[in-house]
Amino acid sequence: MNKIGIRFFTEKSLTRHDVLGAYAVIVLLVYSWTLITSFYKFPSWMFYLTLGQIGAIYAYAFSINFIESIVTLAGVSFLEFTLFLFLKNKEEILPRSILAALILLGTAMWRLVLFQDYVDSAAFVSGELKWWLLTFAVGAPAVIFAAKIKWIKKILEGLADRALVFLYIYLPLTALAIVVVIIRNIN
Amino acid sequence: MTQLSRRDFLKAGGVLAANALLPKHITSLTPTGGKYPNIILILWDAFSARHLSLYGYPRLTTPNIDSFAARSIVFHNHYSGGNFTTTGTASMLTGMNAWKHRAINYGGLVKNEFAQINPYTLLGSDYYRFAFSQNPWPDRLMGQYDKDIDRFIPPSAYSLAKKNSPAQNFKRDRALATIALDDFLLPVQSDSSVTGSALLGYLNKSETLNANEQKISYRGGTPEIMDPGYLIPYLNENVYKGMYSELSQLAARQTPYFAYLHLYSPHFPYRPRNDYRQLFRGDGYNPVSKPVNPFSGGVQEDYITTQRDLYDRQIAQIDDEFGNLILGLEESGALDNSYLIFTSDHGELFERGFVGHGFQLMYEDVLRVPLIIHAPAQTKRKDVFTPCGNIDILPTILSIAGKKIPAAIDGKILPEFGGQEDENRAIFSVAAMDNSAFAPIKKAAIAMRKRAYKLIAYIGYDLKQNFELYHLENDPDELNDLTEKETKIFSEMKDELLSNLDEANRAFAK
Repeated sequence: MNKIGIRFFTEKSLTRHDVLGAYAVIVLLVYSWTLITSFYKFPSWMFYLTLGQIGAIYAYAFSINFIESIVTLAGVSFLEFTLFLFLKNKEEILPRSILAALILLGTAMWRLVLFQDYVDSAAFVSGELKWWLLTFAVGAPAVIFAAKIKWIKKILEGLADRALVFLYIYLPLTALAIVVVIIRNIN
Repeated sequence: MTQLSRRDFLKAGGVLAANALLPKHITSLTPTGGKYPNIILILWDAFSARHLSLYGYPRLTTPNIDSFAARSIVFHNHYSGGNFTTTGTASMLTGMNAWKHRAINYGGLVKNEFAQINPYTLLGSDYYRFAFSQNPWPDRLMGQYDKDIDRFIPPSAYSLAKKNSPAQNFKRDRALATIALDDFLLPVQSDSSVTGSALLGYLNKSETLNANEQKISYRGGTPEIMDPGYLIPYLNENVYKGMYSELSQLAARQTPYFAYLHLYSPHFPYRPRNDYRQLFRGDGYNPVSKPVNPFSGGVQEDYITTQRDLYDRQIAQIDDEFGNLILGLEESGALDNSYLIFTSDHGELFERGFVGHGFQLMYEDVLRVPLIIHAPAQTKRKDVFTPCGNIDILPTILSIAGKKIPAAIDGKILPEFGGQEDENRAIFSVAAMDNSAFAPIKKAAIAMRKRAYKLIAYIGYDLKQNFELYHLENDPDELNDLTEKETKIFSEMKDELLSNLDEANRAFAK
């Protein structure tokens, strides 16, 4: 096994605690965003959809959220095995992953808020590359160094611990949601 | 499909028009020989009857439709059941007034108990049933009974979009999947809130907008676009070629077919091709000036004029595409034993400080829509002036197909198809988007056409004047309100409108 392979297994093997902690924060962000944005839609849904139909919309939403959370976790993990491959301190993996998820999702959310309307389309497209390059240029070092600062690390680990409870709420709901979507789409 | 120039087609149209003058008789308008006739329903979105030269518009916007009308039945006072797509289309597809079917909100659905009242379910398996709506809202309405549709192609078919909406993957739950995914989780645009999915929503928006921003190589100018919300760019020539292809395939089948094509143009934003950009420029057309309506945004007159010109050019382009489509279908024999129905879901307003449709404006330009029906082998024009509504289209289709008409349908079979002309019949159009679909209607703009009169009622709005009455034969521009002059007529019509609303609300309150 070559040098990189040895590093992979010795320094980069994510523990269950790391994965669950990072995933819990991702789930908290992804599902909460959907729930909050649904509140803007809810009054209009109440105008023309039955409660059962609204429930079905949430079933689609949670199913999509589940995919989204897995994709985000995969993205963050991918960073750990590429960009952050040579960072050694195992204790920093969790805060670093959380920070990366916060920056990734936060930037996407911020841009969605800024460019909502049709008239913003051109601005959205023309500035997109700059936004993400800047996010990467500032975010990557910030993730590396912030994870080393004790009080930030403590806050992020505390967040992960507290976010774990959301897994117990959202994941069973997601399982139910997926069943609902499947049933609705069976011939 | 053979491509014809505009000039060639106009020539052909002239020949066809001349043919129509020959003293031939319309063949039977009811099914014969035991074989079901094919039925093709083509709907142009936001096509105001008052902008067709066929109906007396001063600009020659529709020479091809005019020629086609020379061998069709032309309905001169045909009204949509609503002033925007959802209500207008739902009224047509259910044959019911909006206060019954309840698709009254933007993007709303037909009440569950009436969802099975539609041409697809009622025509049944005797017909091969085809559906295509470029506009996602009617696509959603038809998604309520997608199991009864044999071929249901997505709104992005024949467009420049590189991919379909993710909701199209949920073929057995199309209506709700589109609301969940297209409207909420993964919309490209949403004017009322942000995307419901943070990451996948962002990626979908980014991919679609980046694709749309790429300059599409198109000699004709700017592609049309379905906007706002869905952002599907398309070229009308591609769409009409696609429809030709679909109809040709349907005609090749052994079974009779029903096809509903809901085509987006000339809906806003009006983007006529470059070769239409000079049309009507400086032609001196100057429509009568009308007072600004309290519900309008008070749009400036010069903007209204510019938009009206673009709209008329867009119509002229559509007319050309229509001409090519019909010519191609006729030459190929695809129209043998076929009824062709052309109509719209609502019109478009360019007056009273307003451009577009929807809101509470219920004037003629937004409610009166074309209705032209060509029966198999029909060679002579017939004109029907009795007011009728798009709720009459479903019972007429069912009658043509020899099917039973459910009692829940409000519409009547159209004159010339077995229906009786009824001068005293009231035709209603409803704009009730400010109401819950599950509660009695308390806030709405309702238009009622009866004989030559039209009453507009603004129910539940705090206005100086909640009713307007016009005599459309004497005052087609709706400028002289007769509520204080024709008090008896006003009182009778008002009572009739309110009692109909009360009855609808009473039944609903149960």
